[in-house]
Amino acid sequence: MGVWRAILWRGGVGAVFAVVLLPLVAVVWLSFFNQEIIAFPPEGYTWRWYANAWSQRQFASGFLNSLEIALIAASIGVTVGTAAAYALVRARFPGKTAIAGLLLGPLAIPGVVLGTGLYVFFVQIDNAIDFQIVATLPGLIAAHVLLTIPWTVRLVAASLQGLHPAAEEAAANLGARPWTVFRRVTLPMMRAGVVAGALFSFIQSFENLELTLLLTGPGRSTLPVEMLNYLEFRVDPTLAAVATVQIVLIGALMLITDRFVNISRVVA
Amino acid sequence: MNESGRAAGRPVAALVLPAVVLVLLMMVAPMVLLFRYSLNIFSPTELMIQALTARNYLSAVTDPYYLAVMATTIRMAVLCTLIALAAGFPAAYTLARMRGRWKAWLTLATVFPLMVGNVVRAAGWMTLLGNAGLLNAALKASGLFPDPVQLMYTPMAVALGIVTVVLPYMILTLASVIEGIPRGLEEAALNLGARPLTVFRRVVLPLALPGVVAGSALVFILCMNAYATPILLGGPQFTMMAPAVYDQFVKTTNWPFGAALAFILLAVTLALTLAGRALLQRRRHPA
Repeated sequence: MGVWRAILWRGGVGAVFAVVLLPLVAVVWLSFFNQEIIAFPPEGYTWRWYANAWSQRQFASGFLNSLEIALIAASIGVTVGTAAAYALVRARFPGKTAIAGLLLGPLAIPGVVLGTGLYVFFVQIDNAIDFQIVATLPGLIAAHVLLTIPWTVRLVAASLQGLHPAAEEAAANLGARPWTVFRRVTLPMMRAGVVAGALFSFIQSFENLELTLLLTGPGRSTLPVEMLNYLEFRVDPTLAAVATVQIVLIGALMLITDRFVNISRVVA
Repeated sequence: MNESGRAAGRPVAALVLPAVVLVLLMMVAPMVLLFRYSLNIFSPTELMIQALTARNYLSAVTDPYYLAVMATTIRMAVLCTLIALAAGFPAAYTLARMRGRWKAWLTLATVFPLMVGNVVRAAGWMTLLGNAGLLNAALKASGLFPDPVQLMYTPMAVALGIVTVVLPYMILTLASVIEGIPRGLEEAALNLGARPLTVFRRVVLPLALPGVVAGSALVFILCMNAYATPILLGGPQFTMMAPAVYDQFVKTTNWPFGAALAFILLAVTLALTLAGRALLQRRRHPA
């Protein structure tokens, strides 16, 4: 009786994790199918869809745009987010809780609502000063910075919380200048949080769809948006190859992040 | 703190400013503007006429089409939240009670799909559920269903897609709370003769309630605002609120109405989340 219950429990739990991972496995498998029309089991396996995906302009340019946007947005977001997290943990000032809440706000507002807000805001600026922001890379980067700030603040603040300011005070008392204290003491202490913040920020920006959707234009689109447009017509091995590249990229970034922080503490 | 320390506190506090300015500019200003737009009047010729009217809100909440879309969205969100809770609890309990290497790997396996975008996962479900997909191939090979079964473009496909998108959030939120429940409490109850189900109902569940509340609220919000999954797995006939909001901006360019729909979605999500939270917490402290 107890044995059967244990088997049933484990089987059920295993099934839950399997169902979550199943679509990822399916899409990786499909990317190697020899034939273009989906049929199970496949006739054979090939790598050629990866070359084919890269030769399709919308995927290549979408990938490069996403890469550029995510790199720049993460650099900006990590810089200002780290500074903010440091101030929130170490300094005392009025309204700290409210400011912390504000900085985490972009995570609380649904992407669709925030995306529409940014769209009308950008169009308003376009009209007011005759300077195009909608459907430009700077516009997309500005929007994505919003995604990177809360993740950085959260991760860096969490990594600072457990550290005592005594080391910094000691360095200052021993005559180190503020910049030296920051560079030689504070920054190394925050390293794990900053690295994790940078990687998560990059992933959030690279994978974002909702916030991005209205802000794209011809040639100024991101990979998830190009994939969505393609998928509204069909799913085939070429698209699966594009998806697989993303899965591998994110998997690698996650494994790197895992070396720096305890990942289960990051999301919950 | 001495004088110099207090003086040094001010420049440190100033470090928060760049981030605050960016969020005010890129989040607060757009949301204020969007709300202002929702009070304007739509005009097919001039796009928008400045006004201060609740007309868009009124026509949205009286329009049978949008009422039906909202009802579909709420039904789907409630269903997916309940499934995610039921499936996520055992998974979270297992994860929380694991130790060492396996726990680290299982945690990674939970966080990883969450980081991979919804579009990629929807592509996976399209591969599995299509008429020539893996599931139909398996059904055909089993001999029970010689003709393809329509799995794609059904509410079931959307529910499956959304549940798998939100499950990792539920599992991680629940697991972080369950980890804090001392194992000894369960063992004590078992030793005193309680059956496993009773231990779960009387010991684990009440102590895990904060996790249930937080996880359900988070997941419900995500479900209410699902975009890619309903579009790709539900097909053109199945409409949820988030795609309906975007259509107002892309297809019909009725911005005031679209803005009103966005705020209605936000308000309904918030109201239902708070109501659900109150309901769960009342269960905990019966009057």
